Amino acid sequence: MKQVLIVDDALFMRNLLRDIFEANGWEVVAEAENGLQALERFVTYRPDLVTMDIVMPEMGGIDALKRILEDYPQSKIVMCSALGQESMVMEAINAGAIDFIVKPFQEKQVLEVVGRACGG
Amino acid sequence: MDIEKYRKMFLSEAAEHLQNMADQLIVVEADPEDRAGIDALFREAHSIKGMAATMSFDATARLAHHLEDRLSDCRDQGCVSGELIDRLLAGVDLLEDLLEDIRDQQPERDVDAFIDAKQPIPELEEVVVVEEEPIAAEPVKESLLVRLLLADTITTPGPRLLVLLKHLSRFGKILQSTPSEEQIIQGEVTRQLQVRLVTEVSAEEILQQLQSYGELAEVVFPAEEPVAEKMRKQSSSSSATVRVDTDLLDRFINLTGELITNRYTLQSAAGEKSWSEVNEGLGQLARLVKDLHHQVLKVRMMPLQSVTGRLPRAVRELCQSSGKEVKLEVEGATIELDRAILEELTDPLTHMLRNAIDHGIEEQGRVQIKAWRERDQVLIQVADDGRGIDPEQVRQRAVERDLINSTQAQAMRDYDVLQLICQPGFSTAEQVTETSGRGVGMDVVKTAVEKLGGVLLIDSTLGEGARITMKLPLSVAIIRVLLIDCAGSLLGMPITRVLQTVEVAPEEVQTSGKQLVISLHGELVPLLSLRKILQQSKGSPKNPIALVITEIFGRKVGLVVDRLLGQQEVFVQALPSPFDRLKGTNGGAILGDGRIMFLLDLQSKLEKRRAKGT
Repeated sequence: MKQVLIVDDALFMRNLLRDIFEANGWEVVAEAENGLQALERFVTYRPDLVTMDIVMPEMGGIDALKRILEDYPQSKIVMCSALGQESMVMEAINAGAIDFIVKPFQEKQVLEVVGRACGG
Repeated sequence: MDIEKYRKMFLSEAAEHLQNMADQLIVVEADPEDRAGIDALFREAHSIKGMAATMSFDATARLAHHLEDRLSDCRDQGCVSGELIDRLLAGVDLLEDLLEDIRDQQPERDVDAFIDAKQPIPELEEVVVVEEEPIAAEPVKESLLVRLLLADTITTPGPRLLVLLKHLSRFGKILQSTPSEEQIIQGEVTRQLQVRLVTEVSAEEILQQLQSYGELAEVVFPAEEPVAEKMRKQSSSSSATVRVDTDLLDRFINLTGELITNRYTLQSAAGEKSWSEVNEGLGQLARLVKDLHHQVLKVRMMPLQSVTGRLPRAVRELCQSSGKEVKLEVEGATIELDRAILEELTDPLTHMLRNAIDHGIEEQGRVQIKAWRERDQVLIQVADDGRGIDPEQVRQRAVERDLINSTQAQAMRDYDVLQLICQPGFSTAEQVTETSGRGVGMDVVKTAVEKLGGVLLIDSTLGEGARITMKLPLSVAIIRVLLIDCAGSLLGMPITRVLQTVEVAPEEVQTSGKQLVISLHGELVPLLSLRKILQQSKGSPKNPIALVITEIFGRKVGLVVDRLLGQQEVFVQALPSPFDRLKGTNGGAILGDGRIMFLLDLQSKLEKRRAKGT
């Protein structure tokens, strides 16, 4: 079973993603509310995939992404973005994010992206 | 097939093949056993045949086939005889004539006489080539073109294209991408991505991986054009089609995009009456326009090679007819010039070459054509190591011909005397083979060069050879002019034609006979009134008097003008009919402030008067 770490400061979003993942055979190994927690939990759990929100308190998603990739360059991190965050998403992609999903999330889209990220 | 649509393309490509053939024949002549050379010749003929047959230009196809057969025999024998080289060159000439017919939409001229002239080929009757398979392109470096189109439902095309671009880069090396990564990041909105990829991975495999992207509406692998490699080469034909590097077109698209953005910036800044932002926007606009101008000029640029490429052939023929042995060296053929200038250079260059061989070089020698850039000018020099031009003989001839009087002849420096060979009437057809007949047609050369806004300079050391230099502007469309006020009209003179501007006090003007002159660095320079030349009323006397020192018909003159208004770069446009028949001007430009400037062309204005005078 593939393991995923969900990073988002909004509980609602974390629950929504958790439901999608668990209904489709993924194991959500941990959740994080900000970038710092994400770093810590990534090191602890070493998940197959991370979904990373971009704007969060303490440490944002792009910084967290960069920090993770510094130490674990093969990590697969999918950014979660809202409309209007294109330039930040592109910054993240340039920094090494493998793909992105756009809020409001649609189950089909999420599954396609994460499946591709881990499959390929 | 819609012939019309392909005619131009055919002409331009066929001309290129012919030029290659002509060049290659000269190479092979020097080394008749050059197998690779013979093969190349064969391929060129083969290409022409294939193209012509496809287009149903039967005579052209038949002749190309004939040449191909001859070359095929050569391949078998492993060498080409000198006699055959002559025949093949004649064949190339005839093919050129045929292209001319096709260009003029005339029926193709007869080729059978040529084909039958020597060694009639028995199988000729059956030769009507139609079934040409396309010639296998030479194995270029394997690259794959992929075009992706996003589905309409995608709301974030930029990040999506970037992910796709990154994904493609995992397959191999990306040679080129449209839009480029930077463009995507800068937020240029497009739903299409085209990438040229060098990869080991097959198209099928790439397609399979890309199918996991539901965001894609379309994945295409467009067919490659085999001519891509040749894009950069240009034929010297005068056809109106231009091949442009796709990179350049991409840059146009970018610039257009930026201009559109700029327009909105300006619009909103103006709407908010935020003048600092308007200023910023205008600064940006100025940069963009300058860049655009630069790129547009690039489209018009072609290497000098397109003209010099024909010269080895001309030298060969001149050597044959004169029995001399001349080596041609060309340096700087990659230098680029505006195509409009290049088109006008063929004749003058050939002419200068002919003069060098006919009159300069005695038995054997060397002609060197050298081109180089000096700021925004290109200099092209034709130098030979022949006998040189004797200034004494030129003096004598110039006096005989009444171009100067004997006092002037003695006063003139040798260098200035040499320039006289470009005077019309300096030498005439009778003296073509005479020793001092060096100036044959040099007036024509000089006129051609000056028409382009250039200058022609003659230099020679007796016994060591002659150097003839053309100084040309890079581009004809945009030139730097000296603005002149004359009787309220705004006139411009190409800066390349201006030797100097001076202001003199009325007392400094002297008379020499009926002619007003001034003394400039110890040299007497006759004065001409621009008002008088342009048939304007006499102006009030000025102090100081503004003069433009220029050359008219090879002689230094001081042009009296009302006022000098400084220099400016202008975009010169040809005047529409009927104004194009106006003497004294050969173009106009609209200046930044909306005023219209006419470009002065004094020679055309004075020509008639001169004809009457002499």
